[in-house]
Amino acid sequence: MMHKAAPSSTSILWLMLGLTLAASPHFLYQPIWVSLVFLTAIAWRCMNIWFDWYLPSNKHYLVRIFQLVIAVAAILAITFNYGSTIGRDAGVAFLVMMLGLKVTEIRSQRDYYVTVFLGYFVVITNFFFTQSIPMVMMMFIVVIIMTACLITVNDPKHVIKKLQIVKLSGQMLVQSLPIMLILFVLFPRIAGPLWGLPQDSHSGSTGIDNKMTLGKISNLIQSDKVAFRVSFEGELPPPAQRYWRGPVLWLTDGTTWTEINRSLTSAVETNIEYSGAEYHYSLTLEPHNENWLFALDMPNKSPTTVKSHINADGVLQSNESVKQRVHYQLTSQPDYQFNQQHEPFVQRALELPDNHHNLSKQLAQQWRSETATDEAYIQRVLSHFNQSDFYYTLTPPLLTGDTIDGFLFNSRRGFCEHYAASFTVLMRAAGIPARVVTGYQGGEINPVNDTLVVRQRDAHAWTEVWLQDKGWVRIDPTAAVSSDRIEYGINEIMPLSMRSPLFVANSDALIELWQSINNNWDAVNNVWNLWVLAYGPERQRDFLTKLGMTNPNWQSIAIWLGSLLSLVFILLPLLLFYQRQQADPVVRLYQDFCSKLAKFQLIPATGEGPNDFANRAIKTLQHHKSDINTITQLYIDLHYGNKSHSITELQTAIKLFQPKKAQ
Amino acid sequence: MLLKLYRRISPPNRQRIYIIPSRFGFMFAFFLLIMLLGAINYSNSMSHLLVFLLVSLGHTAMLHTHRNIAKIELKHCHAEPVFCGQTATFTVVINNPNQRDFHQIELAHQPNKIISWNPFKRLSGFVYKNHISLVPAQQSVSSTIEITTQQRGYQSLGRLRVSTLFPLGLFNSWTHFNTSARVLVYPQAEGILPLPVATNSGEKIMLSQQKGLDDFSGFQNYRKGDPIHSIAWKAVARDDVLRTKQFSGAHSGQRCLTWNDTAGVGNTEQRLSQLCQWLLISEQTKSSSQLELPNNTIAYGIGEQHLHNCLTALALYHDA
Repeated sequence: MMHKAAPSSTSILWLMLGLTLAASPHFLYQPIWVSLVFLTAIAWRCMNIWFDWYLPSNKHYLVRIFQLVIAVAAILAITFNYGSTIGRDAGVAFLVMMLGLKVTEIRSQRDYYVTVFLGYFVVITNFFFTQSIPMVMMMFIVVIIMTACLITVNDPKHVIKKLQIVKLSGQMLVQSLPIMLILFVLFPRIAGPLWGLPQDSHSGSTGIDNKMTLGKISNLIQSDKVAFRVSFEGELPPPAQRYWRGPVLWLTDGTTWTEINRSLTSAVETNIEYSGAEYHYSLTLEPHNENWLFALDMPNKSPTTVKSHINADGVLQSNESVKQRVHYQLTSQPDYQFNQQHEPFVQRALELPDNHHNLSKQLAQQWRSETATDEAYIQRVLSHFNQSDFYYTLTPPLLTGDTIDGFLFNSRRGFCEHYAASFTVLMRAAGIPARVVTGYQGGEINPVNDTLVVRQRDAHAWTEVWLQDKGWVRIDPTAAVSSDRIEYGINEIMPLSMRSPLFVANSDALIELWQSINNNWDAVNNVWNLWVLAYGPERQRDFLTKLGMTNPNWQSIAIWLGSLLSLVFILLPLLLFYQRQQADPVVRLYQDFCSKLAKFQLIPATGEGPNDFANRAIKTLQHHKSDINTITQLYIDLHYGNKSHSITELQTAIKLFQPKKAQ
Repeated sequence: MLLKLYRRISPPNRQRIYIIPSRFGFMFAFFLLIMLLGAINYSNSMSHLLVFLLVSLGHTAMLHTHRNIAKIELKHCHAEPVFCGQTATFTVVINNPNQRDFHQIELAHQPNKIISWNPFKRLSGFVYKNHISLVPAQQSVSSTIEITTQQRGYQSLGRLRVSTLFPLGLFNSWTHFNTSARVLVYPQAEGILPLPVATNSGEKIMLSQQKGLDDFSGFQNYRKGDPIHSIAWKAVARDDVLRTKQFSGAHSGQRCLTWNDTAGVGNTEQRLSQLCQWLLISEQTKSSSQLELPNNTIAYGIGEQHLHNCLTALALYHDA
C-alpha cells in the first residue's frame, strides 16, 4: 500500500542539519556534556553516511551495547544533575539527549517522521527560554529545513533539486501564514497554566535581589538587559527624581543587608501623605521572578491590572512573582511624607551588629556630639563624602575584613551600594533610624518612541532616614560623591568601553550610529513585547474590542474565526490551483489561434501536431487555407528553433485571423 | 468571469479524488496537540504562533497533496498475453494535463473487487505495485504493473488506484480507475508426450531444407513464451539482447494436434498444457499445425498470428 523505502542519506543529512540548528541555542546554557552527547550522535550518523561507520543494530551488537550504556548513563547523569523532578531545564536536556540517541537508529520512514516531529518540539522549547525576534527568525529557518526534510523523505529518487526543495518548503510555509495569523489573533487564549509549572520554568531572569552584599550590584552594572520600560503621559520627572523604588533593607549582619520579615510588615498600616506634581505612566516590567513591582517613588495607589498592594515599606508588592512581562498603569507623586508621626519599627532601623564597624561607630558618635541636630550631623557626613577623597567607581578594590570600616577609612572607592551601606551604618551608630532602599535610578529616553528605558545597569541603592515630624527622608549619599550619576544617569559616567562594543568606541560618529541603531531596535522590541509576546487573554480582549467586536465572547470569536478561515479556505485553493498561463509567448499566441478555431469544434487532439491540426482545420475552413497555413508555419518556425521570423509577425497574423463559416 | 474561473479550476466530468490524513498525518496532529497544551500551559506567545504555523502547514500540505494528483488521467492500460505461471506485465500510461509536475505517484490495484456495505472496506485489499517519481507537466509517463498468473483464461487487472503522499507525507490522496484491462493467460506449456509425427504432404508446403535433427539454423529475438532452454545465454552475455536459438529439423512439415492425442496425460488442464507445448515446439520447428479441440478447430497455419489463435483457443477452452 505504501512506499516503504528507508530514508535516503540525503534526507538524513538534511535532518541532521535541521536538528543541530534547532538544538543549538540550548548549547549555551545546558550542561556541556549534554551538547557533546547530542553532537557526537549527529556526527556518528553523518560518519555512517560518509564513511560507512557502523550504527547500533542487532548485527553490530557491540555498538548497540555501547549506545545503550550511553543512554543509561545519560538518564542517570540528568537525574543526578537536576534532581528527581523533571523541570523545564531537565526536560529539555532529556529531550535533546534522547533525540541524539534516536538519530543513530533512524531506519524506517516512521523513525524519520517521529524524529522530525521531535525536532519541531525542540523548536518550541527554545521559546520557553527566549522569544526574541532573532530567535524567532532563526527558528523559522529551522522550520523551513525541517519541512524540507519531510519533502526529501518523500522524494526518495531525488527527482527534485535541493534548492527546489527548500523553495517548495518555504513556499508552503508562506502559504500557511494567513491561517497562522488568523489563529494567532482569534484562537481563544486561555490564561495558563493548565497544570503546575515546573519550578525552573522562568529562571534565568536577572534583576536586583532582596538582599545586598557589597559587590553584588556591580554584576548588574555590567548588564545591558532591560529591566523595564516606561512611557509617560505628559511630562517626565526631572532626572534627579527618577528613583524607582524596590526592596527596602533593614537588617544587617555586618556584610549582608536583608528585608524585614514580611509577615510583620504587611500587617502594619502605613501612613503616606502625597502632595505636589502627579506623573501618569505605564510601565512594562521584564520578568524577574520576584514579588515586587517597580514604581516611581512614590506610587499613590496600586495598579488595577496586576493584583498588588503597597506594603509597609512603600514597595509595590504583587501577589504572585513576576514570571512574565507585565504591563501596568500608575500615578506617582515624588513629594510625599512617609510615616511622619510614628514609625512602629523604629528600633529595627537602629540595630547594628555588635563587634562590627567599631571604627565607624566611634567616628559617628564623635561627630554626633560635635553637631547640634540630626540634620546638621547628616550634612556633616555628606560633606565628608563630598570633600574627602572619596571616589565613585564601578571597579572598586576588593574589600577584606570589616567592609564598612575598610571602605570608610582605607579604600574610599566604591559605588552606590558602598555609599548607601556605610551611610546607613553611620546614621544608625549616631542614633538616627535609617534603612537602605534598592531599586533603579535614572534610565535613558529612547527618542524613537519616547519611552524611558531602564536597564539593569541603572540598578541603584540609597538611604532613607527617619526624622521626627518629617518621616522617612530619602538621602542619596552617592549624589554627594558623584552628582553626575544622579543627574545624567550611569551612562554618562561609565567608561566608553562599557557602554558600546570596542570596535565602535574610538569614533564619535560610530558611537552615535550605534546608539541610534540601538534605540530603533529597542523601539521595535518594545512593540514586539507589548503586542506580540504579551498577547494573552487580556490583550486579546482589548485588541478584538479595538477591531470593532463589541464584548468579545466565545460565540462572536467563533463566528469571526469561522468566517475568516473559510475565506482563506476558498482563496488559498484558488491561488494554488489556478493554472498559470503558458510562460512562452509563442505558445500563448498559438493558444489564442486554437481558441479561435475552437468555435468550429476544432480542438487539437492529444498527440496531434500543429501540421496535422492545420490540415484538419483546412478541411472545415477551406476558404481560410492560406491563413491557417501561414500561421501554422510561423508557429512551427518560432517554436521549434528556426527563429527567422519575428514574433510580431505571428502576433499580427493571429490578430487578423477572423475565421468565418463558408457561405 | 467567475464562471470562467470556476470552469478553469473544476472542469466537468473530472476524476473523483479522495484525500485522508496518512498515519503520519495523525501522528503529526497528535504532536501538535501536545505542543498546543505546552504553549497554553506556559502562556508562551511564540509557541502558540509555531503551533498555529504547523497547523496551517498541515492544511497547506493537504492542498498540495490534492494538487499533486488533480486531473490525473489514465491514458492506456494494456498487457501482452503470457503463459500461466509467468508474470503478466501491464503497461500503464499516466498523463498529467496540468501545467505543474506530478511527483511520487504510486500505483496499486485491487485484484478482487470487494463488495461491502462498509465504504471503508471497499478501500482495502489494494496491493502496492509501482512508483512513478515524476510525471512532468503536460506529459505522459508509462509504468508497469506486474501480476502473477495462476489460471488460464482472461485475468483482469481489477480496480487501479493511483495515489500520492507528496509533498509532506501527511495526507494520502488517491483516485480510482475502473479499468477494463485484462490479460490473456495461455495454459502452461508442459507435458511428457512426444510430438506427434508430422505428415509431410510434400505437395504444397516445402517448408525448409531437410537437414539433420536439431541443426542450428540461426537466432531470433526472444518473444514472450519462448521456452527458456532455447535462449542463447552466451549471446546475452555478449550484448544483453535475449535471443533464442532456432533449429531446423526433420520435423518440419504438417502436423495435426488433436485433443484425443492427449488422452493419456490426465485432466483437462494437463491436456491443454500438453497441446500448448506441442504448438510451441511445432512453431519453433516452423512446421504447419492444425489444432483440433472438441468444440473448435483451427485450421493449418504457421506464424505468430496462427500460434496466438491456437493458444487463445486453448486459454479459453471450456469443457463441453
